[in-house]
Amino acid sequence: MSCETDARVVEVQRRALEANEEQAARLRNRFAAAGTLVVNLISSPGSGKTTLLEATVRRLGASLRCGVLEGDVATERDADRIRALGVPAHQILTGGACHLDARLVERGLDEAAFGELDVLFIENVGNLICPTNYDLGEDFKVALLSVAEGDDKPFKYPAIFSRAEVTVVTKADLLPHLPFDLDAVRERVGTLRPGGTFLVTSATTGDGVDAWCGLIEARLRAKRNG
Amino acid sequence: MHEMGIALEILRIAGESVPDGARIERVAVAVGELSAVEPELLAAAWEAAVAGGPQAGAALEIDWRPARQTCAACGEIPERVPGSWLRLCPRCGMPLGIEGGGELDVLRVVYVEDAEETDGEVA
Repeated sequence: MSCETDARVVEVQRRALEANEEQAARLRNRFAAAGTLVVNLISSPGSGKTTLLEATVRRLGASLRCGVLEGDVATERDADRIRALGVPAHQILTGGACHLDARLVERGLDEAAFGELDVLFIENVGNLICPTNYDLGEDFKVALLSVAEGDDKPFKYPAIFSRAEVTVVTKADLLPHLPFDLDAVRERVGTLRPGGTFLVTSATTGDGVDAWCGLIEARLRAKRNG
Repeated sequence: MHEMGIALEILRIAGESVPDGARIERVAVAVGELSAVEPELLAAAWEAAVAGGPQAGAALEIDWRPARQTCAACGEIPERVPGSWLRLCPRCGMPLGIEGGGELDVLRVVYVEDAEETDGEVA
């Protein structure tokens, strides 16, 4: 074709994910106006996000109005587990998509009609890669790592451990049975996220759950006191 | 496979950047090493995103942007550990400073205004 000579160039310089970033900013304003602390939980499938959330809302549910958005490819199972504890939960079904984005969260929130909340937990789709890029308007991201997954995971999936302000090691009651070097993981995460918070928990024994819940309460107070 | 969603966003932004009816020849994007986007997957997703649509055949040019790693003691660290976001200097073990690599931007669009020819809207 001879039209090559007619080609024009337009400089664009726009962020590819600007639409999500703008929607996330709107959500963040909405959460700020409501005084709601929003926590985005990210991990591999099976790391124990829902189990930690069950232990969390058992402790915090009496004093704080908690709500949970559950992201999964299919089924209401996770939302059912939270609702069974008397805490409102809404399931976002992505139908195959590997992460939540701000649009899905906004739609999920509108469908859920939680009313006023002190803390909103967003359990992302089990995936250590794709959720990394999508701001959901949260106050902070939490990366969960179960001890059964191996202590090299922070270096194998560095992006999420770099972007998560908090890393929570889960299933710590299994430590005696596994070759998992907890000190090495703490050090590795520290090199990916200097100054981040590192917690070790077992939802089964309850170890570390108080520290985790204390962090949530402290962050909520800090958000409300400016 | 979040690359498909990103490819569709790039196509949307490119479409907004050119006059109505223009045919996009190529779109240049910057993809940083730390953007958590795999260039080969993005290229494959782009093919699928434009296939069968009005911009079928539009090319995606990926400008790969490495992160610059600097050690306070050793200076610039050119060596890379594949697939890793090292934060420790491979020479001395001290924390590395990281600059750039987070880019995920639509840079420019090359297009042809041939609406009259293709749409038959010649006055």
